[in-house]
Amino acid sequence: MKKANLAVALLLIGIAALVIVDAVRLGFRWGDNGPESGFFPFWLGVILTICAAIELRSLLVSHRKHVPSRRLMPEGAWKPIAWVLLPAVGMAVTTELVGLHVAAALYLAFYMRATAKVRWSTTLAISIVVPAFLYVLLDKLFMVPMPQGLWGGKLLPF
Amino acid sequence: MSDIQNLAMGLGVALQSYNLLVAVVGLTLGIIVGVLPGLGGANGVAILIPVVVTMPPTTGIILLSSIYWGALYGGSITSILFNIPGEPWSVATTFDGYPMAKAGKPGEALELAFLAHAAGGLLGVVMLTFFAPAIAEFALKFGPAEVFSVMVLTFSAFVGLGGKSPVKTIASIMLGFVLAAVGLDIVSGQLRMTYGSVPLMGGFNFIVAVIGLFGLGEIFLTVEEGLKVDGIKVHLGFRDIKAGLKDLMHLKKALIMGSFIGCWMGLKPGVATPASFMAYGFCKQSAPNKEQFGKGAPAGIVAPEAAAHAAGTSATLPMITLGIPGSPTMAVIMGGLMIFGLQPGPMLFKEHPDFVWGLIASCWVGNILGFFIVLAAAPLFASILKIRFAIFMPIIVYVCAIGAYAVNNRMIDVYYMLGFGVLGYLFKKLDYPIAPMVLALVLGDMAEQAMRQALIIGQGSPAVFFRPPIALPVMVLALTIFFWPVITAVRNHIHLPKHPPVRPHPKAA
Repeated sequence: MKKANLAVALLLIGIAALVIVDAVRLGFRWGDNGPESGFFPFWLGVILTICAAIELRSLLVSHRKHVPSRRLMPEGAWKPIAWVLLPAVGMAVTTELVGLHVAAALYLAFYMRATAKVRWSTTLAISIVVPAFLYVLLDKLFMVPMPQGLWGGKLLPF
Repeated sequence: MSDIQNLAMGLGVALQSYNLLVAVVGLTLGIIVGVLPGLGGANGVAILIPVVVTMPPTTGIILLSSIYWGALYGGSITSILFNIPGEPWSVATTFDGYPMAKAGKPGEALELAFLAHAAGGLLGVVMLTFFAPAIAEFALKFGPAEVFSVMVLTFSAFVGLGGKSPVKTIASIMLGFVLAAVGLDIVSGQLRMTYGSVPLMGGFNFIVAVIGLFGLGEIFLTVEEGLKVDGIKVHLGFRDIKAGLKDLMHLKKALIMGSFIGCWMGLKPGVATPASFMAYGFCKQSAPNKEQFGKGAPAGIVAPEAAAHAAGTSATLPMITLGIPGSPTMAVIMGGLMIFGLQPGPMLFKEHPDFVWGLIASCWVGNILGFFIVLAAAPLFASILKIRFAIFMPIIVYVCAIGAYAVNNRMIDVYYMLGFGVLGYLFKKLDYPIAPMVLALVLGDMAEQAMRQALIIGQGSPAVFFRPPIALPVMVLALTIFFWPVITAVRNHIHLPKHPPVRPHPKAA
């Protein structure tokens, strides 16, 4: 927990630094007729840095006092979380190649088989029916197109 | 009273068959969304915004808000039957709802919850109907300094009353504003914080952020404990309705207290969720049977549920009249309004009264219809969670990805969504509040614009924010609320009893 707290506080300082640098570039004083573009972000960055610094200080204090910290995640939580996150990232990347609905079909099938060993019949049924349904709903009915990817248009020419 | 006339006109719009159908669809979707973890109210509404844009504005907003009412109702179902709160505001329901269900009275527990929701919702809608026009009139007097001061009040409420570490809350708010500022600065035409990267030029869209933070983040939280969904079976019959109504007669106090607390808190931005906890706490304190709470006391269900629904309904009020959303879901709905080209705020009442009153009327219709729908189909909705997690989780992620992409037709938004999901999970675990960050993301541009205009009017002096008659008391109130934790700490310190004088031992002298 402490490490995560520390990491987030440092991340916030990093973001604040990026913001302040750009704000300085844009100018953060009073311009010709009103605050310059960087005015608002500059002060945002400053306040954010102060907050993160206070957070860091209190972390340091509790570290020195040897205050025990709770676990960030319960035992063995890494595994299910990684199982949610990594295949989802995989699906996003695959979308760039073959389009969202095809990637989703692969993702659904993969997840169902790999984590819960769902029967092949159910797996195939769901990973084909759900994307098909959503494809019809979105593309044909609502006219909201989804990414086709590099090869998607050629794989499924409808 | 012209308010009633306006309401009648609005009802005429809301009860048109198309709008009615849309309301029913929205309510059903909302209940499903409320039942499923990972597709919360804010998230579900956000996903449907790109779809809703194709509809006429009134119909679209009826759909979005019906989802909201449905989610308010639906969150209780899983809290009571599965001990899994489907929504943040239904956490307090698990305290007494689940024990009551386990003790063999799930139907009654559900009845109480739904009736409490309906009552709270009705009170909220009544307030909305009769106070909204008055507040809108008042808000017409607002200039940029006043608008900015109300926003400061909003965020101060999060800091001072939010219950989380003020430093973390402020950091969260700042982060939200920073995210809102990335991209094109409308006033000067310059690119800010894009560092030459093309994707960043488009900035961060609040819909994508909400889907990631609340959707994926929620899923991560749910899986970390491993999902156990062995729920309690329930069969709702008329007997349960009668029993619930009878119980309710005895629980008038809890009901009224809960509803009023909810209404009051819902008006203040950001406190819809804490309203249910507060109502639970108050009810418990003032109840004759305190020990029963936590073991299935009916009042323990009624109070938080009434409060949650009343707060959710009255959160519409500041959104419509002042343009300040009271909760993340309201923020998303407000974003939807803006996409339609309707600027929420006092001008909306003047320029589009048919829209506003149609919306208010649909709140009436939605709350009442929703009660009957959820009553009829609660076991059906509950059985959704019986579908294996391994099946519905990836489907939820798939739908979230669709929602994220549909906003701007960019793949980068899907990646942003994943990033926000991780951020949402981390923030929840580390106790950084997410709601103010979302509000800051939605309001960021407006807040900055108001600040700039006010500073120009005041010629660079911050004193412009403290000008009477409106900005001054609002800012004073904001600062008071902001420093509230400090004030209470100082007060406690002063009132600490001094050590009693030490009497010398009789034999010691």
